[in-house]
Amino acid sequence: MPQTQLSAILASINDIILGKNHPIKLALTCLLAKGHLLIEDLPGVGKTTLAHTLASALGLSFQRIQFTSDMLPADIIGVSVYERDSNRFNFHPGPIFTQLILADEVNRASPRTQSALLEAMEEQQVTVEGETYNLSSPFFVVATQNPMNQIGTFPLPESQLDRFLMRIELGYPDAKAERALLLGEDRRSLLQKLEAVISADQLEALQQAAAQVHVSTALVDYVQRILTHTRDSGHYHTGLSPRAGLGLIHAARAWALIENRDHVLPEDIQAVLPSIVAHRLQRRDDDNAKDWVEQLIHQVPIP
Amino acid sequence: MTKPDFSPDHHHINSLIVALLLGAIPHFIYQPFWVGLMFVVMISWRLLHSYRGWPLPAASRWLKVLHNGGAALTIVLIFTQFGLTIGRDSGAALLTIMLAFKVVEIRSLRDYYVSCFLGFFLVITNFFYSESLMMVVLMFAVIILLTSCLVSVNSSHDVQGIKQRLRLALKMVFQAMPVMLFLFLLFPRIPGPIWGLPKDANSAVTTTMTEQITLGEIPSGTGTSGISDSIQMGKISQLILSDETAFRVQFENDTIPPSSQLYWRGPVLWHTDGTVWSPLAPKHVNKQSPQITHSGSQFSYSMTLEPHNKRWLFALDFPTQKPTSFPSYLSSDGRLNSQSKIKNRSQYALSSSTDYRFNAEGDNNLWAALQLPKDKHPQTLALAEKWQQETNNKRDYIDRVLRFFNTQNFVYSLTPPQLSGDIVDMFLFDSREGFCEHYAASFTVLMRAADIPARIVTGYQGGDLNPVDNVLTVRQRDAHAWTEVWLKDQGWIRIDPTSAVSSQRVEQGISGLLPNERNSPRILSQSDALTQLWQHMENNWDAFNNSWDIWVVGYGPQIQKQVLSKLGMNNPDWKKMTIWLASLLLLSGLVMVLASLYRRRDSDPAVALYQTFCRKMAKFGLTKHDYEGPHDFALRAQYALPDYQLQIHQITTLYSHIRYRHEQPLLLEELAQKVKAFRPQK
Repeated sequence: MPQTQLSAILASINDIILGKNHPIKLALTCLLAKGHLLIEDLPGVGKTTLAHTLASALGLSFQRIQFTSDMLPADIIGVSVYERDSNRFNFHPGPIFTQLILADEVNRASPRTQSALLEAMEEQQVTVEGETYNLSSPFFVVATQNPMNQIGTFPLPESQLDRFLMRIELGYPDAKAERALLLGEDRRSLLQKLEAVISADQLEALQQAAAQVHVSTALVDYVQRILTHTRDSGHYHTGLSPRAGLGLIHAARAWALIENRDHVLPEDIQAVLPSIVAHRLQRRDDDNAKDWVEQLIHQVPIP
Repeated sequence: MTKPDFSPDHHHINSLIVALLLGAIPHFIYQPFWVGLMFVVMISWRLLHSYRGWPLPAASRWLKVLHNGGAALTIVLIFTQFGLTIGRDSGAALLTIMLAFKVVEIRSLRDYYVSCFLGFFLVITNFFYSESLMMVVLMFAVIILLTSCLVSVNSSHDVQGIKQRLRLALKMVFQAMPVMLFLFLLFPRIPGPIWGLPKDANSAVTTTMTEQITLGEIPSGTGTSGISDSIQMGKISQLILSDETAFRVQFENDTIPPSSQLYWRGPVLWHTDGTVWSPLAPKHVNKQSPQITHSGSQFSYSMTLEPHNKRWLFALDFPTQKPTSFPSYLSSDGRLNSQSKIKNRSQYALSSSTDYRFNAEGDNNLWAALQLPKDKHPQTLALAEKWQQETNNKRDYIDRVLRFFNTQNFVYSLTPPQLSGDIVDMFLFDSREGFCEHYAASFTVLMRAADIPARIVTGYQGGDLNPVDNVLTVRQRDAHAWTEVWLKDQGWIRIDPTSAVSSQRVEQGISGLLPNERNSPRILSQSDALTQLWQHMENNWDAFNNSWDIWVVGYGPQIQKQVLSKLGMNNPDWKKMTIWLASLLLLSGLVMVLASLYRRRDSDPAVALYQTFCRKMAKFGLTKHDYEGPHDFALRAQYALPDYQLQIHQITTLYSHIRYRHEQPLLLEELAQKVKAFRPQK
């Protein structure tokens, strides 16, 4: 039963990361929609823990790469090493050969290294010295990045931001959740005790189920109105891409599945919209940048 | 819809300024320079406030005094410039400047509205000066911009993009188009103005005409080509060729006489004092009508005459009768006169034949056609004496004179030397350089010296035929003067001495004498294909302008009747037009209402039912926002109306299932029942 599985997953993640129901739901939505996730927030709010918990709960193999400015693409993808015994080069796969990879502080690495990761995300495979290696399936990238105004960062270019289906923020926990966190057990030991709720195969079945969720023509009209608005209203430098439109529908389907519905409602679109468009659109005037996605929702009437 | 505390921000003000500036720019040309100056100064003040934070008049008492003082100064300036006459110029100047003053002090929404609506008045004032196509296009742009300003302060989302606003304004203006067309076509046109026109209403017309009347009078020695009621030889040393249109001719059946026959007859000049030629007093020529016998084919055509503020009309030499539908009469010297001065573009239909006999039986005014000033032109008279003895009859004498012009080295020139002393003698024996006036006048003197009655006819010769619409445009530069001599049994015969000197002038028109660069930009004349293309475009543009002038600007009682009869209204009078107009306006209003109702009632029946439900909720102050999803709204509604939670839930679920899940006719029926049964009470 998809619904019982999904609530079990959410429950086990919520046990570890406290008071973050909405971002966690969005993160799960992102993975169900087969999208890559970008988490942007201050250090110490639980970005890494969230990624690790997701992997554990979904029964995925997990690797973490801490990005630094002196990192090279080979550090991610792997390297061919000459072995004297066999008298030939052998490929030693890098950390990217896993099901869920956490690219921590992705904006600390040089653009060259960043693009190596992002290319792998897009192609689902890597090529080293003429040899192509398929990545594992499913394959998710959860990247975290610090807010742009911190020193020593290389901001991801817009074209690469577009490859992340969602960008979410965690934010500080509320007082009650924080109190529970401070009084409770160490998160790391909790994480080690966490057992997988579903297997990778079951996850793929869930993804299949999400793709089956019905999208009516009236709803497509609504999505198209949103896309047109971002392109024509003059508030944004560039409008949303067709890929963003597709992402919006995929994510809304996954969200509807989590909500235990077999069809998508405009409310589903509105729920996932901020995490999907916020990193893709650039406002022309950012004087009231805080709630502009909210404004975007308010400007587009539901047909 | 607007919030009560709403006040226009600088985005609103800026778009208003753009619209008003565009609307005021033509006035910078028509009005004295200080009108434009004041306007720009005031607008700049407002812009400096927006971008540099300069204070507005309301900020301090001194600025208020400055602002009010400026307004007072404007009124003083207007009085000194225009005097006490309240007319077109002073009114337009006042409106233009005061509008800019108003923009500076816009604070509330009301101020903004006032400025917008005054902007529409500004648009109207521009048409007092020009009704050209370019002006109409420009003013349409201003109207759309002003409408978009009104849209911007009235839209429910104050962060709407400028593109959307313009699109909406454009849509609204286009929706108003049918009403505009109905009003234009059907509003009863009354001959002459309804209200007394201000004194300066025709000033634009009279100024251009005085320039043409001074053909023989400009002391500096230059003149603009055109027609006046007298000509003076020798004073003009440079003829400026004006491209202004004199009249346009549309021949019926597209049968057009050859260019050498295109003599457009105007005023006839009889009397001379040696230099100035002038017409005969009306009492002599108005007594009787000319005796004409026509032979050969007749050409029917309609003339569209540009206003020249004089009474005379032009006709192809020679009209079979006076125009039937235009109050006019023919003088005995063949001049066609209007009953009143031509102050507006006028249209009349005529037919002419180029083969005719004119007063062959005799003419009462022959005495005037023999008049010569006393003791003038001694050399010319001596020459005439000599030729008279050499020739046997009048015909031979005329040929002798024409041969003289043809064989001696006379030159056709638009820039002849200035003449003094006895001008005819000087011209014939000394300078021998001149244009049509010189030849016509000296030829007439030579005729009269030999007792042959002769007179000068002024008018136009030739014209440009536009192949696109077959309209012949006659311009001021086609102005011409020729001679008529009276011979017994033959009557008045046209003799054009200019053609003896320069046959090109008559066969190819004046353009044949001019370098090609006059007609197309120099760069194009190098390539034939480009020249042709340019010519083609020019022809089309002319044709378009021509129909614009005739059918839109010239849409008066006459054309209105014509158009309405063509549209199937018999005997259109003002009562019929008013009834038609009222019913068509009512109809278009009805169409608008129905269209908006239809749009509200969406094609999806579920949506219509759901909207009924929403209207019922709205009675409790629960308005569903456009952007609100049905379930979000239901949550809000259930919270506000806890007694109806179940019904609200059922209706919402049914609706969203039909609309977003699968369309099921059974559910639709259920929804209809539920919505009908839903009667919330407080």
